[in-house]
Amino acid sequence: MGIIKLLAQGFGATARKGRILVFLWVIHFLFSLLIVAPFYFLLDSQFSRSLMGEKLFAGTDLLWLGDLIYRFQEIPPLLGGLVIGTSVLFLLLLVFLHGGIIGRIAAGEEKITLGNFFGDCGRYFGRLFRVFLLSLVGYLVVFGILGRLCSIPFRLWSKGASTEWTLLLSSSLRLLVFLLLYSVVKMVFDYVKVTLVVENSRKTIRTTLRTIRFLGRRFFKAWALFLLVGALFVIATVVYLAVAKALPKTGIGPFVLFLWQQAYILARIWTVILFFATEYGFLKAHRPAV
Amino acid sequence: MKKKKICTWAFGLVLLTLSYLPAAQEMPPSREIPATQETPSAEKGSSLRYEIWVELDDAGKRLAGREEIIWRNETGDDIPDIWFHLYWNAFKNEKSAMLEESRAEGTLGMRAEKGGWGWIDITRITLADGTDLKPTLEFMIPDEPAHPEDQTVARVTFPAPVKPGEKVHLGLEFESKIPRTVARSGYYRNSYFIAQWFPKPGVYEEGRGWNCHQYHLNSEFFADFADFIVHITVPASFVVGASGKQKSAVSAPDGKTVTYRFEQPRIHDFAWTADPEFIKVERDFIASREVADEEYAELAKALDLTIEELTLPDVKMILLIKPEHRRQTERHFKALRMALKYYGLWFGPYPYETVTMVDPPFRTGSGGMEYPTLFTAGTGVITDKKVHSPEGVIIHEFGHGYWYGLVASNEFEEAWLDEGINTYSTGRVQGEAYGPGMFSASLFGFPLTRIIHLPRYYDLELDRLGAILVAERDPITTYSWQFINRMSYALNVYQRASTCLNTLERYLGEATMLRVMRTFQMRFRFHHPDTQDFIDVVNEISGQDVTWFFDELFSTAHNFDYGVSSLRTGEKKEDDLGVFEVDGRKEEIRPEDIDQKKKESKKEKSGRKTYVTDVTVRRFGEARIGGDARIRLRVVFEDGSEKTGFWDGRSRWKKFRFESSAKARFAEIDPDLVWLIDSCISNNSLKAKAGRAGVVRLASRLLFWVQNAFHYLSALS
Repeated sequence: MGIIKLLAQGFGATARKGRILVFLWVIHFLFSLLIVAPFYFLLDSQFSRSLMGEKLFAGTDLLWLGDLIYRFQEIPPLLGGLVIGTSVLFLLLLVFLHGGIIGRIAAGEEKITLGNFFGDCGRYFGRLFRVFLLSLVGYLVVFGILGRLCSIPFRLWSKGASTEWTLLLSSSLRLLVFLLLYSVVKMVFDYVKVTLVVENSRKTIRTTLRTIRFLGRRFFKAWALFLLVGALFVIATVVYLAVAKALPKTGIGPFVLFLWQQAYILARIWTVILFFATEYGFLKAHRPAV
Repeated sequence: MKKKKICTWAFGLVLLTLSYLPAAQEMPPSREIPATQETPSAEKGSSLRYEIWVELDDAGKRLAGREEIIWRNETGDDIPDIWFHLYWNAFKNEKSAMLEESRAEGTLGMRAEKGGWGWIDITRITLADGTDLKPTLEFMIPDEPAHPEDQTVARVTFPAPVKPGEKVHLGLEFESKIPRTVARSGYYRNSYFIAQWFPKPGVYEEGRGWNCHQYHLNSEFFADFADFIVHITVPASFVVGASGKQKSAVSAPDGKTVTYRFEQPRIHDFAWTADPEFIKVERDFIASREVADEEYAELAKALDLTIEELTLPDVKMILLIKPEHRRQTERHFKALRMALKYYGLWFGPYPYETVTMVDPPFRTGSGGMEYPTLFTAGTGVITDKKVHSPEGVIIHEFGHGYWYGLVASNEFEEAWLDEGINTYSTGRVQGEAYGPGMFSASLFGFPLTRIIHLPRYYDLELDRLGAILVAERDPITTYSWQFINRMSYALNVYQRASTCLNTLERYLGEATMLRVMRTFQMRFRFHHPDTQDFIDVVNEISGQDVTWFFDELFSTAHNFDYGVSSLRTGEKKEDDLGVFEVDGRKEEIRPEDIDQKKKESKKEKSGRKTYVTDVTVRRFGEARIGGDARIRLRVVFEDGSEKTGFWDGRSRWKKFRFESSAKARFAEIDPDLVWLIDSCISNNSLKAKAGRAGVVRLASRLLFWVQNAFHYLSALS
């Protein structure tokens, strides 16, 4: 089956699984809201009774930004802890949610309810968490060793540069190489997750090795499909930026911008589901037994 | 801030033209300030004169130089010695003051790659009669804290003290190793930026001795005005730019090298650059095309000067630009024209014939630095016009030609006098010429501002942001190398000083401030003024004593923060509870009596209500206003009426009471934002009722950023 057809199937699957999108968006939104809430109260205490508060509505102004930075300049160390803590929590939450996403995609036409979604989340959490840990090792190997090796020619090229163009090209190409390397690791472990769920297997390492062999035999096709979905994310970002830039900064503009931002977040969450849906489709197409 | 090898011996020693000397002897001592506002002619010659021959050894990355110095003692002191700056020894090893300071700071480490170090050696130093002074040469450590192995200041002792009015003729030879790009001097491949490169005498101050500081991490330079003649020999393929005016370019008989001769009277430093890839472009600044008659007339009125006094001269503009930036040539010239125009109109005409703008050679780290009649800019290969770069740096570095170049304050001791004043001036010029610029953001040199919308700002807004962050670190007037750290140095001398000057402008009025700045520039051109000179000019021109302003905001590290701490507004009580003597008898007023009275008042509908508003204003910071300055309080009521109060701001707080026919909507101090230096403007106002639309909007943006960040994090899961 060609990748375009797989992509189309993925579209179909995500369209039928619209509820997953809603669940994920609500969870993302609430989690983020939880993080933002203390800052809201900080801002409220600083600005709600100040005339400066009215300027917040008009957009970024260095006067109020300066006040904020000055007032809370001691906060960054605290903020660092908060960022690390919430990031770890969010990663765990994502691992948890992936079980629900893949489980419900693999459930075929079965109706999606909060119960069966979170049931899958809980059911697969342990094995997906092991995959997550394994993927961290994968990233470490790829970026820590392979990435450094790949950087050498770019560094040498930059070192002998005689104009800025060389630096610009070298940095851009290096970034591209890193992104491609990243996409390979990400794809491999995505497939491991999907395989573990659809095979209902708990053997993480064995499944990982089997998946690597499986993808090795049809690597470029799988990779092209993965990059195609990734490209949709890029397109969504470009469209978002273009429209956001054009929106009015006053009147109803900020409210429309907020809605547009949430639409963009929805699109990003949708690409996550699409990744899994296309990977599931790819796996089914090439290993009908699963 | 800002950088060779030599085999100059092909040149004969040209005797200095004696005709300079009689003219030089007619010069007043450097601290004798001319009474008139305008500067005396720059053609009189200087009390110091250099003629330097230098040859670049491209292969060995070295300079070989010979220097003739004629220096005259213009003080009443007998002077036993002469001190020199040997700046490049700052790059000699990690024991130099600069590198020890930078190690402590964790910045600006030298690249210790082989051949990367730089140094300078005086190999010969003699008097005109041949007396060898080299045996007396010793390195000096004038500054505290001491860096005992630093070799950036040296002195030689004369056989006999130099008497007042006497002159000394010194002959030096020196050899230098060009550093591999550090502190804006050095080389990369065959591109060179050569600054602070020759043995340069300090400044002798009567009764105080030589002012000759070591090369520090956080400081720039200080030197006496001099007449320069410099002969630069480079391989024939190189394009050269330098301070001053090029007088000749002579090829060697074998055609392998070219010797350029540059001359410039009355400058206090000399820098040059050489790169075979430079494209040299020249344009003329033709004042009559740039400034309309109406502009002259308007300014003449504001400054109370004649149009003749304001009329700008034409100037030759020279640009040395790298091929990859060629397309930005006109952008560079436009910024320079704007700078020549507005600095000229506001602060005084540019007095030299040429100005050379250098697009810094790749990886020489020499961008954004000023030298007399030459400065370096800096740009990228891909730019966005919304971001005012390179315009901002061009305007700023050209502006140093005024604040450092002409008004040559001591950058070691009072860096704010050039950096702060010039940052203030840059903001004015850039704002006038270009309006607000967009924040810059780039990824690998690609400007992200082409795809995302970042805020636009005026320099004074950004300056204030920096200024308030270092409000209590160090006084602005701290010696450059004695700031607690590099950030405090930078933010204090550039941004805090600039913000204080913008505050002063708002306090005195724009026209008065312009007169202050122009008077200071014109009166102290070709001199070395200090902070007190500036304060004197401000007091004189403004007609009031604002010494307190400098005491509070420049000489101390006091935070300036006034605010409204409480606002209470409500109906005025007509009656009080309790027992009162009425017609000789005791009468008790009870709550029900008051209620009854209110009901009657409502029925009659005739009683107009009176409201009382109590406002407390506070001084949260240590800094206090003084003199005739007052903090203005404005209270706006629900019916649109306003009341105003004033406070001298000396005590910690003051309460105000206003009676009005409506409740207060808000109270605000300093509604015109005169006190830009105030570190918290949001506490300047207090509304009776909270309004959360702005807060909700900002929080919703924050929410989106957090959602985004989490989503990027999902790439790892």
